[in-house]
Amino acid sequence: MTEPIVINKLTKDFGGFMAVDDLSLTVPRRSFMGFLGPNGAGKTTTIKILTNMLSASSGEAYLNGVDVTKDPKAALANVGAVVETPEFYPFLTPRETLSYLGELRGMSRQDIERRGREVLETVKMTDWADKRIGKFSKGMKQRVAIAQAILHEPSVIILDEPTSGLDPRGMVEVREILTELKRADYTVFMSSHLLNEVQEVCTDVVLIDHGKLLRSGSVASLVGQASVRRIEVAVLQKVSGELLNKVSKLDGVTELRAAGENQFMFSLKGGVEAQSKALMDLQSIGLNVVSYKESGLALESLYMSLIKDSR
Amino acid sequence: MMEANVEAVKNGGRALPSDLQQTVVVAKYDIMKYLRSRRLLGILIIEALVLVLITALVGTSERPHTVDGVIEQYVGFVSILIVLGATLFGGDAIVSEYQSRTGFLLFPNPVRKSSILAGKFASSVGAMGLVLVTYYAVAIAAGLVMGDGGLSDRVFASLGLSLLYGISAMAVAFLISSIMKGSTGALILTFALFFLILNIITSLIGQLGGTKPWFMIDFAGGTLSYIMSDPYPVDTTMSFEIAPGQSFTTYLFYPEVYLSIGVMVAYAVAAMVLAYIFFRRREMAA
Ligand SMILES: Nc1ncnc2c1ncn2[C@@H]1O[C@H](COP(=O)(O)OP(=O)(O)OP(=O)(O)O)[C@@H](O)[C@H]1O
Ligand SMILES: [Mg+2]
Repeated sequence: MTEPIVINKLTKDFGGFMAVDDLSLTVPRRSFMGFLGPNGAGKTTTIKILTNMLSASSGEAYLNGVDVTKDPKAALANVGAVVETPEFYPFLTPRETLSYLGELRGMSRQDIERRGREVLETVKMTDWADKRIGKFSKGMKQRVAIAQAILHEPSVIILDEPTSGLDPRGMVEVREILTELKRADYTVFMSSHLLNEVQEVCTDVVLIDHGKLLRSGSVASLVGQASVRRIEVAVLQKVSGELLNKVSKLDGVTELRAAGENQFMFSLKGGVEAQSKALMDLQSIGLNVVSYKESGLALESLYMSLIKDSR
Repeated sequence: MMEANVEAVKNGGRALPSDLQQTVVVAKYDIMKYLRSRRLLGILIIEALVLVLITALVGTSERPHTVDGVIEQYVGFVSILIVLGATLFGGDAIVSEYQSRTGFLLFPNPVRKSSILAGKFASSVGAMGLVLVTYYAVAIAAGLVMGDGGLSDRVFASLGLSLLYGISAMAVAFLISSIMKGSTGALILTFALFFLILNIITSLIGQLGGTKPWFMIDFAGGTLSYIMSDPYPVDTTMSFEIAPGQSFTTYLFYPEVYLSIGVMVAYAVAAMVLAYIFFRRREMAA
């Protein structure tokens, strides 16, 4: 059984600079894989190689079992993609753009008509279906870009920061679309900087930096592994130097700092047991704890600690 | 084989179109670009103005004209139309996919670069053909109205040669377009090349150098107007005495028709092969 995306020892050398460096990864069928990494990590470069926009310096990239570096037409037959924010032909309307791409992908006229209506509905662009794209805003273009990626119901969808440029409502809507895709059994490979988005919709993540793989696995297992969490505490007392001094001596507490009149935060080693114990410790040194919570997301903490290690 | 079945269902059981079918699709939507852009309209307006101007000049002149003689007056402007057409329909055909980022939309599709190139070339040549055929049609109509006698085959030979020169100039424009980084630069270079640079080189080689520049594309393209003269002009050398004991020699060379056809075909083929090689290797950077 061939996995939908298999990247094997992929390297991209930009005149001595390794944007992708011996990267190997597999996206299992029907998984929703988040592709994470800091700016310049090589995500877009990897995705451009997968979508026939860059050649690889070495290695292979298989889509549905076909090496895209050797036979891009066959490899991309069953793939939909949004790479960066694409531009559209300004003289075409969304409906015509979908017809163009649909015809290239071998869709029949009825098929294009029906699916075109569906996907424009999905991305809420029906009212704009017959207006020339030339003057659309960035977010509107991004919606059309997502529509064309799912037009032909490809088995594999590749997205590079699909919510970039969208307004908050647009982001929520795209997230809903993504969640729907997940239900519909697509395989999705998506780069993103929005860890809440990733944690919400992805089943798996792969984290890269400097073009190299740092970690990959299911979201659940990675979140469970997060060894350091950031804790935010609000107390009744004024946060004084003396108080902080006491807190800093507690088990597992590092990187402690005040965060306002009555608040402070710290990093805590260990899992949920340590987190629960720390709360009792805070109370045992006489603090009246008003709130006690993990700041941000587990995935974010993991991301931060892994990126810090790789710098 | 279960796997393959699942995938077929997922993709709606669709098979990909052949390369040729995709070429036709690319050409079809590219033609739409010209129909809706101001470029085709602009060149047709220039064409109309020139036609009106030449018609006015020929119509008000006292000398009697033959049909061919009238048409010959019009043919003088054809090579400029071809330069404009190659610039506007070919100069940025490829580079614009990169510079205006539409390649991000087009290239991830299951379509070969060769189909994209062929489709775009077909539509650009189609637009050029439309411009030239309209021009000749008006010229022929004017000739029949204002001239005496019959229409000769030379007019159709001229049209054929202009289409061939149009195709080879378009191929060179595509080559420029597949190499250049920016659209504006590609447009300017294409225009300057055909309007200026090639002419200068050709006259340096020919008029001053004394070597027949039969291998130059613009020289070969000249056949489209010389074919209108009867008899076809022959090469000549002219010497002038500019000072006692000092003479200046200039050469007037005329392209041979069949050789020029070969040269134009060679340019078209070579330029498109090179354009394909560059386009195929070109990366979607920024
Ligand atoms: N065409 C190019 N020529 C030279 N270097 C390039 C080119 N494209 C990308 N790079 C470099 O490769 C590295 C990886 O870039 P890439 O765009 O893949 O990062 P990314 O992970 O997508 O980052 P971001 O999160 O900012 O989108 C960067 O350092 C970038 O400067
Ligand atoms: Mg990127």
